[in-house]
Amino acid sequence: MANRIPQRPPVPTESTEAAVKYAWTVPGTNSPLSTSVRRVDGPLKTSGAAKYTYDILRPGMLYGRAVRSPHPHAKIVSIDLSAAQRAPGVKAAVIWKDPGSEAMYHGDVVAAVAADTEERALDAARLAEVRYEVLPHFSREAKSMAADATQVFASGNTRAGRLQEVGDLDVGFKNAAHVLEATYSTQVITHVCLETHGAVCEWNGDNLTAWVSTQGVHATRQQLARALMVPESNVRVICEYMGGGFGSKVAADAPVVLAARLAKDAGVPVRMMLDRKEEHLDSGNRPSAFSKIRAGVSADGQLTAFDGTTWGSGGAGQGAGFPLPYIYQFPNRRRSHTDVFINAGNQRPMRAPGHPQGCFATEVLMDELADLVKMDPLAFRLKNLPPQASNAMWGEYYRIGAQRFGWDKRHPTGDTTPGPIKTGMGLSANQWGGGGRSGNAHVDIMADGSVVVKCGTQDLGTGTRTLLPIIAADMLGLPVNAIRGEIGDTNLPFAGVSGGSTATAGIAPAIRIASGLARDALFARVAPTLGVDPSTLVASDGRIFANNDPSKALTWKAACKLLGAEPISVDGKWEPGLSSVNSSGVQFAEVQVDIETGIVKVLRVLALQDCGLVIDRLTAESQVYGGVISSINYALFEDRLLDRNTGQMVNPNMEQYLLASMSDVPQVEVMLMDQPARGVIGIGEPPTVPTASAITNAVRNATGATIRSLPLHPHRVLEALAQAGMGGTSA
Amino acid sequence: MAQTDSPGGTVSRRDFFKTVGATSLATGVLGAAEAEAQTAGPTAFGPGETPVRLLVNGRVHNLNIEPRVTLLDAVRVRVGMTGNKRVCDRGTCGACTMIVDGRTVYSCSTLAIETQGKQVRTVDGLGTSTTLHPVQEAFCATDGMMCGFCTPGFVVATVALLEKFPHPTEAQARRELDGNVCRCGTFNRVLEAAMLAGRPQAVASSDTPGEIVESEVNRG
Repeated sequence: MANRIPQRPPVPTESTEAAVKYAWTVPGTNSPLSTSVRRVDGPLKTSGAAKYTYDILRPGMLYGRAVRSPHPHAKIVSIDLSAAQRAPGVKAAVIWKDPGSEAMYHGDVVAAVAADTEERALDAARLAEVRYEVLPHFSREAKSMAADATQVFASGNTRAGRLQEVGDLDVGFKNAAHVLEATYSTQVITHVCLETHGAVCEWNGDNLTAWVSTQGVHATRQQLARALMVPESNVRVICEYMGGGFGSKVAADAPVVLAARLAKDAGVPVRMMLDRKEEHLDSGNRPSAFSKIRAGVSADGQLTAFDGTTWGSGGAGQGAGFPLPYIYQFPNRRRSHTDVFINAGNQRPMRAPGHPQGCFATEVLMDELADLVKMDPLAFRLKNLPPQASNAMWGEYYRIGAQRFGWDKRHPTGDTTPGPIKTGMGLSANQWGGGGRSGNAHVDIMADGSVVVKCGTQDLGTGTRTLLPIIAADMLGLPVNAIRGEIGDTNLPFAGVSGGSTATAGIAPAIRIASGLARDALFARVAPTLGVDPSTLVASDGRIFANNDPSKALTWKAACKLLGAEPISVDGKWEPGLSSVNSSGVQFAEVQVDIETGIVKVLRVLALQDCGLVIDRLTAESQVYGGVISSINYALFEDRLLDRNTGQMVNPNMEQYLLASMSDVPQVEVMLMDQPARGVIGIGEPPTVPTASAITNAVRNATGATIRSLPLHPHRVLEALAQAGMGGTSA
Repeated sequence: MAQTDSPGGTVSRRDFFKTVGATSLATGVLGAAEAEAQTAGPTAFGPGETPVRLLVNGRVHNLNIEPRVTLLDAVRVRVGMTGNKRVCDRGTCGACTMIVDGRTVYSCSTLAIETQGKQVRTVDGLGTSTTLHPVQEAFCATDGMMCGFCTPGFVVATVALLEKFPHPTEAQARRELDGNVCRCGTFNRVLEAAMLAGRPQAVASSDTPGEIVESEVNRG
């Protein structure tokens, strides 16, 4: 039991007949597969014509507004919405949490109102009279888990995980020449989706149409129908475009259900989109993580032992697990974890849940251990990696990356250049499962030659929409822009949630198989006319021809004309053999630290990442860029700050909750490490795992000061420098 | 401050708050003298709806809105042009960036009423999805977008950048685009798009979506 990655049943490795028949052929001739193809919705997004949930305006639509608890923990004594209901423009008001129940964090939803303008809805929400009995609360993990802490949470303030043990710890430490003890920690960050969570709901009798900013239209339909107690068949969920999710939009949460309930009560459509503050308080976050580690290394640089006690908080009831140790092999290890509850908004999966936390503690520890045995961090890592395999390519990637990055120019810990500006390099690795196992697609070929691919997936910005026509175009021998792709609607064939980097690996095989079946159905209709056996036919370059006699040919249009009144209309589903799981990657970072101000600037990042078969190189690269930038935010800027006394978030906005802007962004180089033979895997999460650790190690290399907590805000850097007896203006 | 003949004239945010304060004071204390007090000072608006005449992308829109309605909300919800987005709603992230009389503004933090008589340009007026503006074309070429929610603001800010510096240096581009935030992390390719659009003889606009790109901008 190396870590706490959720265990799933193994993916079948046996390829099905269809998967063998329609196996990926890369590189194909004139195929768009694995090339750089422009995002098909680029023109709509850049011109502002793409309609997001936030942009849906329905006739007579009202604006919903939640009433939220101002207290971090309180019993709701009574709720009086009569004044709110009498306010100008108000058409509906509903209670979400019944009197007698408890609000568990600042921003917990209590009730909601809907009015004819957004401004009036805000006015009305302020008129809701909620009486609270304020209860004790905790805003800090240490206070909540203290032995004498008041019990604030019904099932206890903490929840202990299973003890994980491998090998013999005593032997491990006996074999160690050096033992290091240190505590590493990472902060809570919120998703900050630019399009906030929410929905527009419209009833037509008992049928509901819900435009929802969601990572899963089908999953949302199921949950929404359950919450409203209506048949799933009566609910249609649409999400054509959505402004970011990062894991936080996988459920039909309060604003979605409230929009539907308010719309039902008011008899007109209701839009309920969170504002920026609500988004920070109540739409998910990445949990905190604390790791108290004792680790041993032999004189020749072999890891021998790891003893970790870890804890963290996912808010008022959610877990905070993370994999530890990360990637590197400690033959003897023990790890115990405790979830700690505090009165704060609950965590939701956030881009590679758990991995950035486990990666940080492990990778910073690795650099410290490397120094103890006076080894280069790269050589030290190479010595302690698991054996190389197609899903564990770190050794090779480290070597390739080191050469590309100029790792040989790295100086030993502590830049001796005179002056306040110190430069340093760091590295780090990642792993991720990914790989989908379900998804359906439908392909229509019409008599006029037009082609539609339908799949009820959704595009978070990853480029999913563009994958549909690429995959079909490759199979049908057509240009990408000759094919229409439809996504983001429960009226389309089922596809799973876009989360865990599983979307592409789930739907790509389905689209591939559906396109193959459609092509073969067309071949069967065309073959008699050409007087050939269908099995000899090939679709390429907009033509269909016999591979043994190219004179027996028809243009695509002429071939489709033979279809007459009945188009080809076929379904495909995910089958094993065209996708895979587990990816690996490494990253390098170079930073500049001003030891007088404590300001860290990232100069450049190199990211090597595999994801099996690349479908669209352009959008796959964008995902890696995005992962790197997200992780720079985690390293240098983001921090959800809770006031320890009031339990209120003090920076629920975007001016004090810091994110990188253009001047903070370094030069980034992306190297996609193609593994086409493995099929599709997915790439959303892994690139965001290691950058923060590589940056932290680079800061250590630059300054000689070890920082074991994120974010690397200037005060923390100065503190570490002072402890190391350097830095500040007097240095 | 320049006065125009459009209904209500032009007021700054500060004047607006000043007059609101004066009005409530007048109603509470002065009663009958209210009218006289108002004719002496700047015209007061609200708190109810008041006519506001906006000139957006070259077209006049006569709206009846409360004076507290922002330019962004007026354009998005009242006019129905939803290209520019509301994200931080505090003048920080730039998704709402519009160009008012040649200068970029955070339209989420600008009152609609104070832009009367001024030329407002939004992303919706730059090009259509079939006839893209060269800046939009460049964003498509470099994949300067992911979820696309910050993209309209970045596109408008880039248009303003190129109106100021037709062939910007990278430092100029970074500085002028520093008022915009992207959560997906598209900055590197947004910068490439700005540099591409600002290159002398920029952007061949023959590429269409879905076409294979053969450009050095994709090589990272």
